[in-house]
Amino acid sequence: MVKAVVALLMVVSFMQAYELNAQMKDFMNSLLTEAKKQNPNLKEFDYARGEKIFTAEQIGKKGNKISCVTCHTADLSKKGLNENTNKVIEPLSPSANSKRFSDVKEVKKWLRRNFKDVYNREGSAQEQGDVVTYIINKK
Amino acid sequence: MKKLVITSLLIAGSLLAESSSSFEGRKGVAPATDSLYLKECGSCHFAYQPGLLPSRSWVKVMENLSDHFGTDASVEGADSSKILKYLKDNSTEKFKNYKKTKSIYDSIATTETPIAVTKTRYFVQKHREIGCELIKQKEVKSLSNCMACHTKADKGSYSEREINIPNYGRWEDE
Ligand code: HEC
Ligand code: HEC
Ligand code: HEC
Repeated sequence: MVKAVVALLMVVSFMQAYELNAQMKDFMNSLLTEAKKQNPNLKEFDYARGEKIFTAEQIGKKGNKISCVTCHTADLSKKGLNENTNKVIEPLSPSANSKRFSDVKEVKKWLRRNFKDVYNREGSAQEQGDVVTYIINKK
Repeated sequence: MKKLVITSLLIAGSLLAESSSSFEGRKGVAPATDSLYLKECGSCHFAYQPGLLPSRSWVKVMENLSDHFGTDASVEGADSSKILKYLKDNSTEKFKNYKKTKSIYDSIATTETPIAVTKTRYFVQKHREIGCELIKQKEVKSLSNCMACHTKADKGSYSEREINIPNYGRWEDE
C-alpha cells in the first residue's frame, strides 16, 4: 500500500509541469494571449512542437547548419558549448540551473538573439511559448 | 622673455609629466570592472577590456550588435548606452599609462577603426609566431579566445610568464 502511494506520488510529480515564478507566468500568459490572436484555434503551448523547434536543423544567420542543440546540447541538464566562441554555457534546464527562466528580461533577450541566429528571424509568440514549454519540462 | 620662460616651463612640465607617467606606468591593461558590461559582454566570450580598443572602435562595435561577427548580440535601450559610455570612458585613449594599452593605441593609425583586438597591428605582430595547430585545436579554436592561453587575462594581465598554451605549455622567447 505504502509502495503504491509512493509510486503514485512519483508519477504525479513526474507529470507535473515545471513551476515558473510570477513574472515568468505573466510572460507566458501574455505570449499565449498574443499567440491566440494570431491562431484562434490554439488551446495551449505544446511540448512536442517546442521539441521540434529546438532540435530541427536550419541554415542559420551565418549560412551554416545550426539548431538550438548546437550550443545547448540535446541533454538540457548538461553544460553546452557556444560553437562560435568556444565558451562553456551553463545548463539550460531550470531543474539543473535554478537561475534559468527566473528573469523575463534575460529570457526575452536570448530568445530574440538565438531565434535570429538559428531561424534568421524572431520567433512568433506561439513558437516562443512552445519552445519554453519544451525546455522547462524536458526531463 | 616672459613668454619664453612660460613656454620652457610648460615644456619642462610636460616632459616631467611624460617621464613620471611612464615611470608609474602599469603593466597590462586596466581590468574590466563594470558589472553590466561584464554580464552583457561576457556572456558569449571573455569580456575584452575597454582599454584594448579606441573609442571610435567601440562605437562601431556597439552600432552593429545585431550582426556581431555573424551572431545576434543586440542589447536594447538604456543598457546599450550605459555600456557604450563605459567603453568610451575607459578606451585606449584614457589608459595610456597602462603599457599594453599604450602599445595597442600606438599601433592603430588614426584613419583605422578596427572592431577586433586581434586585427590590430600590435596584436598581430605579438601573435605571429604561434603555430596554426596550437590556435585551431579544440581547446583554443581562435585567437579571440584570450583566456585559453593568457591565464590571467581577466585581470588585465598578459605577461609572458602567465601564458599557458593548451597541449604546449609555457611560451619561452628564443
Ligand atoms: C550560438 C550558440 C547558441 C545557439 C545556437 C542557441 N543559444 Fe540559447 N543561449 C546561448 C547563450 C550564450 C546563452 C546565454 C548564456 C548564459 O546565460 O549562460 C543562451 C541562453 C538562452 C536562454 C536563456 C535562459 C535563461 O533564462 O537564462 C534561452 C531561453 C535560450 N538560450 C534558448 C535558445 C533557443 C530556443 C535556441 C534555438 C532557437 C537557442 N537558445 C540557440 C547560446 C546559443
Ligand atoms: C551572442 C553572443 C555575443 C555577445 C552577447 C557579445 N559578443 Fe562579442 N563576439 C561574439 C562572437 C561570436 C565574436 C567572434 C569571436 C571569434 O571570432 O572567436 C565576438 C567578438 C568580439 C570582439 C572581437 C574580438 C577579437 O577577435 O579581437 C569584440 C571586441 C567584441 N566581441 C565585443 C563585444 C561587446 C562590447 C559585447 C557587449 C555589447 C559583446 N561583444 C557581446 C559574440 C558575442
Ligand atoms: C594561442 C594562445 C594565445 C591566445 C588565444 C592569445 N594569446 Fe596573446 N600571446 C600569446 C603568446 C604566446 C604571446 C607571447 C608572444 C611573444 O612575446 O613572443 C602573447 C602575447 C600577448 C601580448 C603581449 C605580451 C607582452 O608582454 O609582450 C598581449 C598584450 C596579448 N598577447 C594579448 C592577447 C589578447 C587580448 C588576446 C585575446 C584577444 C590574446 N592575447 C590571445 C598567446 C596567445
